[in-house]
Amino acid sequence: MLVNILILNNKINKVNNEMEKYETMIGLEVHMQINTKSKIFCECSTDFGCQPNSNTCVICTSQPGALPLLNKQAIEAVVKTGLALNCKINVASNFSRKQYFYPDLPKNYQITQFSLPLCYNGTLKFIYKDKEKIINIQRIHLEEDAGKLIHKDNYSLLDLNRAGIGLMELVTSPELHSAEESFIFLNTLKDIVEYLATSQCNMEQGQMRCDVNISIRQVNQQTLGTKVEIKNLNSISAVQDAINYEYARQIKTLTDGGKVVQETRAWDSKLNITKSTRPKENCLDYRYFTEPNLIPLNLNDTLITKLYKEIPELPYLRKQRFMVSYQLNAYDASYLTSTKLLADYYEKAVKFSKNNKIAPKLLANWIATELISKLNVSKLNIDKSPVTSENLAKLIDLIISGKISGKIAKQIFVEMYKTSIDPVTLINKMNMKQISNESIIIALCNESIKENSKAAFEFQTGKVKAIDYIVGTVMKKSKGKANPQLVVKIIKELLKNSVNKI
Amino acid sequence: MVLKMNNIINTSIKNLYLNMNFGNVKSVDIINTYITHIKQLNLKLKAFVYLNETASIHLAEQIDKKIQNGEHIELLAGIPIGIKDNIMIQNEPMTSASKYLLNYIAPYNATVINKLKKINIICIGRTNMDEFAMGCTTETSIYQQTVNPWNFEYIPGGSSGGSAVAVSAGMVPIALGTDTGGSVRQPASFCGIVGYKPSYGLISRYGICALASSFDQIGIFAKSIQDTVSLASHLIGYDHRDPTSEKINCFKECNLSTYNRKNFIIGIPKQIMNFNIDKEILQLFNEAINKMENIGKLKIIEINVPAYKYVSALYKVIMCAEVSSNIATFDGIRYGYRSHKGFDLNDVYSYSRAESLGYEVKKRIMFGTYVLSAQNYQKYYYQAQKVRTILIEQLQDAYKKCDFIFSPAVLQMPVKLGEMLSDECDIFLIVANLAGLPGITVPYAFTKYLGLPIGMHFMGSRFSDIQLLQMAYIFEQLSGFNASKYPDIK
Repeated sequence: MLVNILILNNKINKVNNEMEKYETMIGLEVHMQINTKSKIFCECSTDFGCQPNSNTCVICTSQPGALPLLNKQAIEAVVKTGLALNCKINVASNFSRKQYFYPDLPKNYQITQFSLPLCYNGTLKFIYKDKEKIINIQRIHLEEDAGKLIHKDNYSLLDLNRAGIGLMELVTSPELHSAEESFIFLNTLKDIVEYLATSQCNMEQGQMRCDVNISIRQVNQQTLGTKVEIKNLNSISAVQDAINYEYARQIKTLTDGGKVVQETRAWDSKLNITKSTRPKENCLDYRYFTEPNLIPLNLNDTLITKLYKEIPELPYLRKQRFMVSYQLNAYDASYLTSTKLLADYYEKAVKFSKNNKIAPKLLANWIATELISKLNVSKLNIDKSPVTSENLAKLIDLIISGKISGKIAKQIFVEMYKTSIDPVTLINKMNMKQISNESIIIALCNESIKENSKAAFEFQTGKVKAIDYIVGTVMKKSKGKANPQLVVKIIKELLKNSVNKI
Repeated sequence: MVLKMNNIINTSIKNLYLNMNFGNVKSVDIINTYITHIKQLNLKLKAFVYLNETASIHLAEQIDKKIQNGEHIELLAGIPIGIKDNIMIQNEPMTSASKYLLNYIAPYNATVINKLKKINIICIGRTNMDEFAMGCTTETSIYQQTVNPWNFEYIPGGSSGGSAVAVSAGMVPIALGTDTGGSVRQPASFCGIVGYKPSYGLISRYGICALASSFDQIGIFAKSIQDTVSLASHLIGYDHRDPTSEKINCFKECNLSTYNRKNFIIGIPKQIMNFNIDKEILQLFNEAINKMENIGKLKIIEINVPAYKYVSALYKVIMCAEVSSNIATFDGIRYGYRSHKGFDLNDVYSYSRAESLGYEVKKRIMFGTYVLSAQNYQKYYYQAQKVRTILIEQLQDAYKKCDFIFSPAVLQMPVKLGEMLSDECDIFLIVANLAGLPGITVPYAFTKYLGLPIGMHFMGSRFSDIQLLQMAYIFEQLSGFNASKYPDIK
């Protein structure tokens, strides 16, 4: 592995000078598992991690005489995704058979969409290097997933649990120019479909997979360079790595006087290289034809309008609104809108809070630091948070109104997380209420001044910061419960009085 | 009155049911009679490939008990039926007469089987067929050579030859077949019985081993139109498991005896004369036209369907294309025949398929693969679909002028075993499959030359099935064909 990295580094060094002469054209084919309970053409469950072949039936194992039974929710999910990505919708669309032999494909053809995809001509916007970028989406279509082969020494095992799960395949124009851009594109796309809840895009479960078409050409060249397809990348970072490798490899090939050949390559995630799997001459003829077992799809306007109305505010717009409405900086807004659940939690909390000036910012900080780190430790999603948005808002309000200090708030928060109890009840229960009774505080201050006579003297002789020692002592004595503002005020008065006495 | 064996076999299924209900005959006796009859005749005719004796008798006993207890039994309960070997019956073998599926046990019931079981019709056994229903002689079966019951030297027709022979010889009163390009109606004609293919979408295809999905339809064999209707009314209906199934219920009430003769208009495509029709068939056809004209009320007109001349070619292209894709699932991986020759995955595929699929199947796979390949798709498959649309439009125009299209069922008489039928033999039947129309062959006469039966074919507009059966009923009566005559089998 080390050797390979060295080779790659050498290659990059060599071609570094050449790089400026070339530009990269990248097109992506993204497969996302559609978020439905049952498979696309039968009633089997889509649950992940079940006993092999337990989620199968006569349809998804292709027994004789079985016919596909279309899951309408899958269609709605694709159309909704298309509408959110500004696609046009083919009101009349149909299904085709894509034919090739492989054991993970029980019918030896895949039901997919060919000539009439559900969605076409869309766009996806994102920010790259502070500029807005728009990538054209050629099509989004519906298809079924294949099963899984597990290869052993001299035999292979077949698990058909995944066979027949609905996928949407999104195809972009070759308009991306770097691994970094592709990375941002995919993350933006992932955020959007997660917002729509049309796919969960869970990478570990292979719910988002990607094919990359990449070619390079000299700057100012009109025609596209020779295209290489890298198949089956199962994470966004693998896409990035594969593009970087392939980019360097193609430039190296050209600068060495060679030619890039049109072929299919596979990403080897162990060696971090792409390997040729199929030259163009051997490309498969899929013999597409219209699936005779399914009647053409006809979507009515009512359904399309209904789906359009169901589209929530998307991350990009929500971020902008958070920055304006809640005075958040771009970083916080971006973080809080990264998933719909997080953004929903935040907004709910903001609405519960009685303070609308300081609370939004304070809530943002508390969620991003205290809450998320706790949730990460207990491996919980924000929607399962033991601290509800309402209770967090209450806690923040208590801080703002000066009823508790930030330090106490943190202690209470820990209890809230453990018990799910609201902060007011907890404060009473834990005897954490702030001490604002002046006579108690005056007594504590007098004690503390005596114990810190040096600091008191320094303060009186002009060293303002010295007061902190005395305040600290008071807070310690009160177990953090003394109202800090009041403590400072009283100490200052006491010291002033004693100066006067002198 | 106790029905004797001969009477049982000569009785319509409705009368059998009534006799059973009135205690004149026991269901067990009916089933035993038929089982004996099947066993006897099958030695010669080889129509059945599998007989479900124990289960059939057991079911018959249950029905008898119900009758004894005064419980209601459904119409047609206890009637035995022959099932073509490409329809799934749970826990029974389903082989499609192919070596590939010889050890296959069906894991579920086809929708039609569920419907039959619900009313306690007894699926007594499986009938022989061409391998995967590819053929028109029942000669490509892996099992045995089914013969024409009227002359054992001749083919029974196909692909549902076993079902046709079984009904024709009285081994069962009714049987199911599948009709992709005339596979029910052609053997029905060759064997002298009624063969009915409903409009595409009326009977669910769920659970029938697919040949060409856009043409396949379950069809019914019976001795009479009355029996055909009795059975059809139970099988027709929307099934959510078949996406091409239709919600139209055109079969609510179908009591033939209440029909009055209507003023039907019968169209004869003038293109019929462009085909090379057997002289005797043509003569009988013209005679039939005269008979219909003579009874009055029926009007005969000439219609024009120029696309008839492309029917054979476009059927072959589309059918083979779908075959090549449907049969791909038989790959030796999950079930069915697997060869142990070879080393890698491609060897598993090629040896398993090469060793288990027959010549006709391989021929159609290769032809279908060819017409769908990237360089031929436009030239053949796409072109054929375009012509199919034109044919359908021309037929729709024709049905504006007439109620039914009338033709001989087939262009030629059955050939001797081992001989070839002409490529265009079933052309008039295939039109119905290409356009999704209902078609029915009604036995008309025995030819003088061969002494074999021959049927005539009526084809209605889509979903005009009731009127079509009514027309067939009229024709059955005027044909003078003696349906109660059975072949003499010794």
